[in-house]
Amino acid sequence: MAWVALAAVVVVTLAIVAWPRGGKPSAAQRVQSVSSELRCPDCESQSIAQSSTETARAARADIRTRVAAGQSDAEIRQAYIDKFGPSILLKPESGGLGILVWGLPAAALVLGAGGLVLALRRWRREPHLRPTEADRELVQRARPR
Amino acid sequence: MKYRARWIALAAGLVVTVFAVVLATQVGTDPRADANKSHLLGQNAPALDLPTLDGGRVGSSDLAGKVVILNFWNSWCIPCQEEHSALADFYGRHAGDPGFAMVGIVRDDTDGAIRRYVAAERVPYPVALDPGARASLEFGTRGQPETYAISPDGVITGTRFGPSSVANLEQLLAAARGQR
Amino acid sequence: MKATLGVLALALGASGALLGVGTFAVGLARHDDRLLRVGRRYVFVVLAAAVLAAAVMEWALITHDFSLQYVADNNARATPLLFTITGLWAALEGSILLWTLVLGGYLAFTAHKFRNRATDPLVAWALLVGLVVALFFFVLTLGPANPFKTLATAPADGRGPNPLLQNHPLMAFHPPMLYLGYVGFTIPFSFAIASLVTGRFGEGWLAETRRATLVAWGFLTIGIILGAWWSYEVLGWGGYWAWDPVENASLLPWLTATAFIHSVIVQERRGMLRVWNLSLVIATFCLTILGTFLTRSGILNSVHSFTQSAIGPTLLVFLGIVAATGIGLIAWRGDRLRTPGRIDSPVSRESAFLANNLLFAALAFVVLLGTVYPLIAEALQNKQLSVGEPYFNRMTTPLGIALLFLMAVAPALPWRQTSRAVLRDRLIVSAWAGALAMVIAVALGARELAQVLAFGLGAFAVAGIARQYVIGVRGRRRATGEARPIALVRMVRGNARLYGGLVVHVGVVIIAVAIASSSAYSTKREVRLATGQSATVRGYTLTYTGSHTHRSGQKNTVSADVRIRSGGDDLGTYAPAISTFPNASEGIGTPSVRTGLREDVYLTLVSSPNQQGRVIIGVAVNPMVLWLWVGGGVMALGTAVALSPSLRRRTRRVEEPVPVAPPPPVPERVPV
Repeated sequence: MAWVALAAVVVVTLAIVAWPRGGKPSAAQRVQSVSSELRCPDCESQSIAQSSTETARAARADIRTRVAAGQSDAEIRQAYIDKFGPSILLKPESGGLGILVWGLPAAALVLGAGGLVLALRRWRREPHLRPTEADRELVQRARPR
Repeated sequence: MKYRARWIALAAGLVVTVFAVVLATQVGTDPRADANKSHLLGQNAPALDLPTLDGGRVGSSDLAGKVVILNFWNSWCIPCQEEHSALADFYGRHAGDPGFAMVGIVRDDTDGAIRRYVAAERVPYPVALDPGARASLEFGTRGQPETYAISPDGVITGTRFGPSSVANLEQLLAAARGQR
Repeated sequence: MKATLGVLALALGASGALLGVGTFAVGLARHDDRLLRVGRRYVFVVLAAAVLAAAVMEWALITHDFSLQYVADNNARATPLLFTITGLWAALEGSILLWTLVLGGYLAFTAHKFRNRATDPLVAWALLVGLVVALFFFVLTLGPANPFKTLATAPADGRGPNPLLQNHPLMAFHPPMLYLGYVGFTIPFSFAIASLVTGRFGEGWLAETRRATLVAWGFLTIGIILGAWWSYEVLGWGGYWAWDPVENASLLPWLTATAFIHSVIVQERRGMLRVWNLSLVIATFCLTILGTFLTRSGILNSVHSFTQSAIGPTLLVFLGIVAATGIGLIAWRGDRLRTPGRIDSPVSRESAFLANNLLFAALAFVVLLGTVYPLIAEALQNKQLSVGEPYFNRMTTPLGIALLFLMAVAPALPWRQTSRAVLRDRLIVSAWAGALAMVIAVALGARELAQVLAFGLGAFAVAGIARQYVIGVRGRRRATGEARPIALVRMVRGNARLYGGLVVHVGVVIIAVAIASSSAYSTKREVRLATGQSATVRGYTLTYTGSHTHRSGQKNTVSADVRIRSGGDDLGTYAPAISTFPNASEGIGTPSVRTGLREDVYLTLVSSPNQQGRVIIGVAVNPMVLWLWVGGGVMALGTAVALSPSLRRRTRRVEEPVPVAPPPPVPERVPV
């Protein structure tokens, strides 16, 4: 019973956290999210959101302008791909070859978990060895007095 | 399965072999090769409107109808310093041609350092500043020096990332002229 | 002269390794004990040679002998002494030299430890494999990565180390710790191969090398934490982990080694998972070589780009041979290893360890795939792609949360099987602690799912660990009547591995909570200030009071003084800076961090004073970053505790008895 109360508390708390908050993301939030998925052009792996280079700052200003002009996230990303090539994205696209990098880990995890479950079931089904009377007598006879 | 470990090991071996082949094919390549090719090749050059060092402005209207060489540079990058004499040389050869224009656009540097460099090295061609790094972004630059060649009808016909020699620059120029 | 001496030392090492391999091989083939004993000696020859070569290199560095190309490239007259000494590992050739030195040390220690079993074929094979690895690295130093190459004319002054490598004393610790970790995994690997070859699968090798693995793991953990610290405090880009290929290369063997540390317990207890454990050990070693390959071959873009060189193909070939040998041996012998062991119940500690391994394997797979995906895309489609933080965070966060859950639950799970009653008694209090923590976090305003889960599960885990300690001490005191502190110490020493491991888990929880906080709640802004101007960020008032320029040796540093105030308290003046070196193309930023218990104020100088005297200061407020380092320290402490020698006790360890379910009538649970 204590578990039920616990589960209730946990579920309610998580629901409060995960409940989709009303309204669209603000402009600032959109700028933050788009720029954190685009690589800063003159950095190795930092995003436009993280970097302090002049180009990164210019890019943030540019993204702000685009968001204010009503462009969608996908449009902004495409504009940057057009200028800098697909390596400007920090998150691989989900289509095409991207299936490999997004899907394989999930597939591997599912396969592994499935294998574990199967193994557990097989072990369960195997007969438990239980000592018989003959076994017990054998042991009795063998024990030192 | 009887020889389960064997089969799993062989499957793993297959995956590792494929992986090793992929790695082997990539060993000689340069991961930065992407940066050597601009993605704006063949497209219209973005519009320009920048202040120059001597207080004026330079824009797309000034450059229309001419073959344009744009060089993104700054005073502290060593390859930029290396190519400086080639750039000056190249400019000297073509400065008299009214159908030719060349602008050095500053990328990621301070005003003071640029002015000092231009004065000390006597840079002969016009130098434009890029406040807010808008031109740098619009042209898809990833660093410096980067050189762009634009044909008279405003199409980017050639790009070069890294220091250029006079021969490189002449090639860019020829390609840009060939568009006519 | 030094170059000749150095090359001679390396040649000595290579020939020592070669002769050792030969002696062991012949001795093993002919079952000749005398040869096996002789073979052992070559291990010490290898160590001596590596020590000599390293000493010669240090000597050359300290005396600024620029006739050696390595010294000319990585040292200058003006380089401070500390960075001259650390120049040994500043670039590829020296790093390989360091690798041979550490490997020689580990091999010598192993040879010494098993000196009474010198004629045991298992030990002989292990040393043979270790010597083969040493031979490979010595051959590297004699060929593609020769640190003692000379220049025809010695320049008057050297180039000096890369400016990034002379910024901070941490340079003295981060690479050696990493190498002590990486190279350490050679020992369990050697024993794993030896075990497969000799067909001896008893627990002997496992127990002997368990400590070596834990030592290597401990060093690797410290090395990774130091790297994160360096990234944050020294590099100044504002974060501690960039999912850079080189960082990932250090994480991969750590993940498989952690999986091994856990699953080896199942092997000890139940005799199961032998093949899996052998595979993990072999995989860990392969990953260290793969990591070195990815770092040094220039095959991937990285911020560690100064480390690229031409030894890629050689490393790849070696990696191929190692992997082929390991896989081949398992294919050959693996099926004989399989035991008829079984797991009785999905709710048991064994199952939890299996789940742990599954998750760590998945994590390793994700990190590996993300790191090499650009290579795959290039090979298949000739497209250049990047994989960065958004991918890795998205994929690893759920796995991390699942691992936190396991960490909370598993230590309380009994072996073999359990009943609901036992589970309830053991877990309910800790679970409520976790739920409470979640409620408090949400009440205080936390709204990110992953973060709230991290807080809750972390509290759950720590409460469970506290419970283990308390119950353990209580039980001991009931039996022996000792005072609490004595009971605690004796209890820990009675089962150092368990209690040390629990301390490590506490460290992991601290790190998880710190990561969750700092990734969700950091604020970052850039402010442009004139002298005397202030700006306010998250309750901190920052006043720019002026800038200074400072020349020291080759370094020209511009720093900006910023006074931080919070709610009336003056928190001090901090000075982020930009340094320029004559040979480097751009300025190296040095952040200035005000470390606080709750949050850091992280200042960077984005651009030095312009003509109007204005500066741009980058300000970030990062919560809980201090606890990352504290958590790392706790992990190191826990590892040390786990490694401390256990008291050998005559009496059997008293464990909580587990009633077998479902027997009617339900037996009284025996209180502990």
